[in-house]
Amino acid sequence: MSNILIVAETQNGAIRECSYELVTLAQSLGGTVKSLVIGSGVGDLASQFAGKGGGETFVADDAAFANYSVDAWNKAIRAGVEASGADVVLISNTPQGWDVAPRIAAGLDVAFVSDCFNAEDQGGKLVCFRRVFNGKLDAQVTCGAGKAVLTVQPGSKEPFSGSGDGSTTALSVDLSGVRSKFVEIKQAESTGIDLTKADVVVSGGRGVGDPEKFPEVILPLANALGGAMGASRPVVDAGWLPHAHQVGSSGQVVTPKLYIACGISGAIQHLVGMKNSNYIIAINKDKDAPIFEVANLGVVGDLFEIVPALTAAVKAAKG
Amino acid sequence: MKVMVCLKQVPHQDAKLDINSDGTWIQEDNIKFEINSYDTYALEEALRIKDADADTEVVVVSIGPDRVTQALRTALGMGADRAVHVNDAEAFGSDALCVAKVLAAVAKAESPDLIFTGLMTDDGNSSAVPPMLAELIDVPSATGVLHTEAANGSLKVERELEGGAIEVVELPKPCLASIQTGANQVRYASLKGIMQAKKKPIDVKTAADLGVSDVASKATIDKVYSPPKNATADILSGSTDEIVSGLMGKIKELGVL
Ligand SMILES: Cc1cc2nc3c(=O)[nH]c(=O)nc-3n(C[C@H](O)[C@H](O)[C@H](O)COP(=O)(O)OP(=O)(O)OC[C@H]3O[C@@H](n4cnc5c(N)ncnc54)[C@H](O)[C@@H]3O)c2cc1C
Ligand SMILES: Nc1ncnc2c1ncn2[C@@H]1O[C@H](COP(=O)(O)O)[C@@H](O)[C@H]1O
Repeated sequence: MSNILIVAETQNGAIRECSYELVTLAQSLGGTVKSLVIGSGVGDLASQFAGKGGGETFVADDAAFANYSVDAWNKAIRAGVEASGADVVLISNTPQGWDVAPRIAAGLDVAFVSDCFNAEDQGGKLVCFRRVFNGKLDAQVTCGAGKAVLTVQPGSKEPFSGSGDGSTTALSVDLSGVRSKFVEIKQAESTGIDLTKADVVVSGGRGVGDPEKFPEVILPLANALGGAMGASRPVVDAGWLPHAHQVGSSGQVVTPKLYIACGISGAIQHLVGMKNSNYIIAINKDKDAPIFEVANLGVVGDLFEIVPALTAAVKAAKG
Repeated sequence: MKVMVCLKQVPHQDAKLDINSDGTWIQEDNIKFEINSYDTYALEEALRIKDADADTEVVVVSIGPDRVTQALRTALGMGADRAVHVNDAEAFGSDALCVAKVLAAVAKAESPDLIFTGLMTDDGNSSAVPPMLAELIDVPSATGVLHTEAANGSLKVERELEGGAIEVVELPKPCLASIQTGANQVRYASLKGIMQAKKKPIDVKTAADLGVSDVASKATIDKVYSPPKNATADILSGSTDEIVSGLMGKIKELGVL
């Protein structure tokens, strides 16, 4: 690939780790790597990134970039694409990335592939790999001639930890006509249940099928093991359990001694919330469920048979 | 006020996913379909505006084959006023940008004040069409929205970020919001609603009718396949008793009893 532009992302006064993962991917694709840092007072961060693999780094530094705005970022990235002459634009698939990246591709009328976990240069063609059907299948997607914009799944590459000799270049961005207006960031109110403190978390997913089954089947096992009850997002969305039980990228990130996933398929957004648990048991009736890839021990079967029997055995063992 | 809701009909979440003969997608014959989960929340969000202000018109739009009529009838049964069905094999076999171009043509013809979509589809998981559509019709957008509040000239939205953070953004109308699951509690179509839906219009169009001629994908799926198993769990088998004793052995070893 001849020219790659990495759109780095800052958070809490630092460059995010996923931006360094983009460096790793960009280097594996080959070609010249350039970067873009957007923010207010981000000159130092940009120099840092330039010196750690970002290459020539454009800096869109303006008080107007103090908070994320889709219109402002759209304009800055478009200016960065122009200034860098990039053929391939890499953006992390974060809430900022997925908000703005498709607009860049549509504005440029070029190929777009989202949430790639890998991309390769195969004889001049950009070939991307991504999950579909919430992780149940993978897809290989090839971009046609011309530019391409990719978003990349955070955590899919090792962050680049080497150094480089990039320099920074100020980028001026015409910010007239910005419509989307940042109001504030707030924290969703927490409801007291702290799953992160439990030694054992027993979670139920959509496969539990019915709100009554949580107190009947999942909670008794959690109680017997002296642990807490977790859930996947659809369970919370349906109003079966409060949000405080949700494990995953938009819930809690847990690392108990033992995590038991019952009727959970193992979509990436759930996995990031539990895959670093010390030991994982998965109970699912689909032998191909992606949860079995992160589990240490698996049962392919009906949770309504296994879980109550296991609860009884745990109770018996405790006497 | 007019609200346009984009919805896709996708394989049912419990459908068996077999790969088709040319290996590029799943086998879609003889499986059940449903409205994309994210889109049901988008439709509900629009219907709540209509509940509060009866002058609101809710128009649902879907690109897809004949079977999509079923999804549109469901949406009409839930309370949408009318539907536009783009039934065009080339348009629904294409990439997100082409889908967005077709939806942009519908949006231009409809000129809605608000467009609600789902954050993502449960089949392709692209999460790409909504911002693309917004860019093509030059309106502001926000993705992953959990709460909307329509004020006079604008829409205030709450976007879900990571780790429980919420970003509040104000978008002048017309604008687009892609809705995240859990934004609301989705209603069911009532029996009365279903009866009424039979009389509501579904306008069927092709891409050409909408003046969209270029539906060639810029990103094409070469193949879909079962993810290679990198690491995989030890699977316990046998009778329920044998499985439970296997699990108990491990639980005792972990010292969590
Ligand atoms: C931005 C974003 C953020 C998200 N955040 C989160 C998050 O924080 N947490 C989260 O969990 N998800 C999150 N999601 C949703 C995620 O993509 C998946 O949709 C979700 O994790 C699926 O939940 P599930 O595994 O319970 O349901 P499904 O994928 O429907 O899986 C149900 C499983 O149950 C099994 N099953 C059914 N019946 C039985 C039975 N009787 N016995 C045994 N097994 C059975 C099935 O085989 C299937 O594997 C997020 C998505 C997005 C886009
Ligand atoms: N074929 C389609 N017809 C109507 N709306 C669609 C279609 N495909 C995608 N959308 C809308 O765009 C959203 C995101 O889809 P995607 O970018 O494909 O993941 C969906 O939730 C729908 O609201």
